[in-house]
Parts: sequence; C-alpha cells; structure tokens
Amino acid sequence: MAQALIDRVREKFAAAKGSSHRGDEVVTVERGDLVAVIAFLRNDSACDMKLLRQIAAVDLLTFAGETTGGGSLASIEAPAYATAHKPQVEPRYYVSYNLYSITKKQSLRVRVDLRSDDLKLPSIASLYKTADWWERYVYDMFGVVFEGHPDLRRLLMYPEFVGHPLRKDYPVRKRQPLVPELDFPDLVRGPGPGPGGAGVPMSQTHVGRKNVDPNTYD
Amino acid sequence: MTDSLAVESELPTSLMTVNLGPSHPAMHGTVRLTVTLDGETIIEAIPEIGFLHRGFSKSSEQSTWHQVLPYTDRLNYVSPILNNVGYILGVEKLIGIKDTERSQYLRVLMGEISRITDHLTCVGAIGLELGAFTVFLYAMEARELLWDRIAELTGARVTTSWTRVGGVATDMPPGWEQKLRDCLPRVLELTDEIDQLLTRNRIFIDRTRDIGIISAEDAVDFGFTGPCLRACGVNYDVRKAHPYLVYDRMDFTVPLGERGDTYDRYVLRLQEIKQSYRIVLQCLEQMPPGPIIIDDWRYALPPKKDVFGSIEGVMAHFKLIMEGIQVPAGEVYVYTEGANGELGFHLVSNGKGKPYAIQVRGPGLPILSALPHLIKGHAVADLIPIFDSINMIGGEVEQ
Repeated sequence: MAQALIDRVREKFAAAKGSSHRGDEVVTVERGDLVAVIAFLRNDSACDMKLLRQIAAVDLLTFAGETTGGGSLASIEAPAYATAHKPQVEPRYYVSYNLYSITKKQSLRVRVDLRSDDLKLPSIASLYKTADWWERYVYDMFGVVFEGHPDLRRLLMYPEFVGHPLRKDYPVRKRQPLVPELDFPDLVRGPGPGPGGAGVPMSQTHVGRKNVDPNTYD
Repeated sequence: MTDSLAVESELPTSLMTVNLGPSHPAMHGTVRLTVTLDGETIIEAIPEIGFLHRGFSKSSEQSTWHQVLPYTDRLNYVSPILNNVGYILGVEKLIGIKDTERSQYLRVLMGEISRITDHLTCVGAIGLELGAFTVFLYAMEARELLWDRIAELTGARVTTSWTRVGGVATDMPPGWEQKLRDCLPRVLELTDEIDQLLTRNRIFIDRTRDIGIISAEDAVDFGFTGPCLRACGVNYDVRKAHPYLVYDRMDFTVPLGERGDTYDRYVLRLQEIKQSYRIVLQCLEQMPPGPIIIDDWRYALPPKKDVFGSIEGVMAHFKLIMEGIQVPAGEVYVYTEGANGELGFHLVSNGKGKPYAIQVRGPGLPILSALPHLIKGHAVADLIPIFDSINMIGGEVEQ
C-alpha cells in the first residue's frame, strides 16, 4: 500500500530513495528537495498527509561502535571513548519527518541526511503548525539549525545550557555550569541574605559565583 | 448602560504580564505560562516547558531494552500501562515477534482500565478547578478502585513496568476477575454521578461551552490526536484505524464531538470511559487460557524450574540478565492509542544489545503547543478549564 506512496514521491522527485523495514516506509530525500517533498505529500490529494506526527533525529556517531550490554560503567563512558577515537561518520546525522494521512490511513517517514559540518535544514513551520515545537526540540537536542523558523529557541533545556544532550558525544555524566540568578529589576524581596535582600541591588550578587569553576564545581 | 460600556472600551489600558507557574496549583506542577493581559483578556501566552525534563531518551540509550521499561512508566504517570504496552510493541516490532494470545488480551484489558483512570483524572481535575470539589472526590474514588485492581495484578499502583518482550509479567491472581467485576459497576455509577453533576449543570456549561475552540483543520495542523482531536469531529483512533493487539475483535464505538471546545473534550472523555468499560468486559469474556509469555528463551526469561534444572535454562537466564535481549538492527516507529492521543516511539537499534536511539512522541506535546492558540482572547479565568481539558501530562511532554 505504502509502496505506492514511495513510487508517487519518486515519480515527482527522481532523486528520492525509498526503503522499507518491518512495514515502515521511509523515503530519503536531498536537503534541497525537503520542503517541496513535504509540501507535495501534504497537499497532493492522493497523499493527503495532513498530520505531522513527529520530527526525530538520530546521531550515527557510535552506530557501528562496540557497546556492551548491561548497565556497566564502561557503557556509560562509551561516548567519551567514541569521541577519543574520532570515528569518521559522514553524514553523521539524519532527521526523520513522520507524516500520516488520517483520510488515507497511510504513513511515511521522510529522511534527510546531514553532514556534521553543515547542520542546517529549511524549516517547515509554515506548512505544519506543529513543526514549530518539534523543530525546536531537534535544535535543542541535536543542534540542527532550522532556517526560517519563526522563533528557534531551546524547547526542553534552559537557554544557558551548553551543548546538545542527545548527541552521542555528549557525555551522560557531564555537568553544566551554574547559571547566575537573573536580575529582575522590579522584583521586591524582603530582608535577608538572598540576592536583592538587605539593601543590596540584585545585579551585584551572584550567589557565590565568583570562585567557582563552572566545569568542576562539584 | 450601553454608553458606559462604550466609555469603558475607550479607557486607556496598559498591558500587564503575568507569570503563571511553574509552581502553581493549576499548572499541574510543571508548565510556566507567561501571559500578557489586557484587563482580563489574554492577548498572548507563551508556554515554557522542560521543568520536568529527566532525559528520557538519553537515559534509555544507556540501558538495555528491558531497562527502558521503568522509564516509560514515568512518561504518563496516570496511565503507565499504556506506555509500557506502546514501548514493548515497538521492541517486538523490531524483533519481529508477537506475544501470546492471552498476553494480548491482558494488555488490552489493563490498557483500557488505565485509560479509564486517565480520563477520570482529567474529568475530576476539570471539576475541581471549576469549584466542583465533589466531582473530584467521586473521580478519585473510582480511580482508586481501579488502581487497587492494577496494584493487585501488577504489584504496583503507578510504576507498573508490567509488560515484557513477548508477553506480560504477571497473570491475574485468583479471585481477581471477580473483584474487578464487582468494582466496575461502582466505577460506572460514580462516572454517572459525575455526568449528572456536571454535564447539564448551567454553571459548568457556561464556563466550558464555546471556550477554547479549535477547528478540525487547525487541530490536525497542530498535531492533535486522541480525545482532543475527536472532540473536533475528526475520526482518528489508532485502535480503529490500525488495530493492534486484539482491538479488531472488540466491539466499541469511537465517540466524536462537534465543536472542539472544552465542553466537548470533557463529554468525550466521559463517553470514552463507557466504551473502555465495554472493552474490559469483552476482554474478560473472550480471554483464552494459556501462557502469558512466549516460550522463546532468547527474549523471555525461562521458568525457574528450567533455570535451576537445566544448563540451557541457566545459560539463557544468565545471558538475559547480564546482556539483555539482542534486538536486530533496524528502525521503526510504533504508535498506539494512549489516553491522550497517539503515543509513538521512534526506535533505532544497531544490533548491539541496547536501544541506539529512542524518541517518544508524547501526545501532549503537540497539544500543549497549541495552548496559546486555544486561550487567546479568552479571560484569564478560562485558561484553567482549557488547560485542564487538554490534560497535559508533564512526564510525557517534557520527557
């Protein structure tokens, strides 16, 4: 059923490659074609894929690497090992757009491969409203920049967070630097030792920040 | 009278920014909303999420396939069994196996009980936050009855971790079926009490009718699924569209709303409780006897008799405990009908004994992203019932 869908995409975009695994159909497209392919799948009456379920991304850095089973410490340190050995995996990332048609009851994933030195994708937030948050999610977790996104901020992590946690070279036990308390000029606080208290302007107190190395504070 | 209103509309007002949450009783603990108000009218709302982010994907990638299971409990902590089932179906799809027939019925049975508890929580919370405390207590009584049954069968009220690759962990204990049959009428009675208290209640209707409307096109565009989408009249239920487990053998209907407002979302949940009740009864009728887990020692733990009595058994046990199951390389997306919509897992395996990548599509995330659209132009007091009616669960949205 869905093979027909891949054929239909390939009719229009000859460079697209179709594949299937366990009944899931995937079509791999070039980055330049991405918006056109998704717009076609959305608007074509035979495809009618009005529901964007999810945008997921995968980092292939350690895909071929050895990992052991079980919850051993060695496996937790695996990302560090992988980074130290600098495997050359290119294209390192791919982003997967999961589309579904409620009327035709068919689904298709559109996959785009990305090189790590060029982590950019065109945004499809103008096609699907839900793409707004999913693109922010992928940006947050993998650092993929979506060009043309109306407001590309982190979704789950906080703005001061350093790095992108779902990249395979992001260590599981990495600590983040302390974030100074934000200065709220119109915030009224009572007396006491905290910032803004006891007549000290908020902007001068940064909670024991001065002598702390942000990388090794623990 | 009209004159004074006209004067009022010309009065100069300045916009005010109000922070709601993250520590706010009506924000369910975890969402911060920065609301810009003109008087009482919401001009703009910016949700900020992530306060409950626990790194579900990152933690899962460090675990074996079975070790991920407890993390899925904590995605939607009101209906954890639905998450367990959704995730395990994904692993089974990657491997290419099916669980036993009795296990399929058990999964559907417990899944539907969980769906009832989830809907009761949502309905009770709407009542509570509109001042109908009685409704909340009725809902909690019914939910406790069901959670007691869940605890008796799985051993835990909330953190069940009950499914296994190829089956489930425990079968019904003796006498459990009768207990369930005894408590279900009370659950239904309490649901009817809620129905009678709220559905035709003038105050409740005034607070929810035509509040927080979303059109069918917008809802699909925003990625709505589940009750919130069906409240707009779009008939999409994974259980009907792509039946998994034994849902194709169940006789149930998918209730639909018309207007897509807070009231429809509430009514729909009450109707779905009734349908889930029907499915539960049918499961009990149709459930065949037999094993609850497959007899394939590559995936399922061997019975203790074989572990202690045969070398094959002890080897299989050792391998499964120390290394976990081996899942062939591949990539799948598996989707089931969670309590709030389509719960999807995007799973990638590289064949090395661990999930290479897991990303979850919590049904609440797309729905929450539409919150500014839903509440724009309404009074700040309407924000709370709208927010309740989408039943955002922090665990699955913020992962």
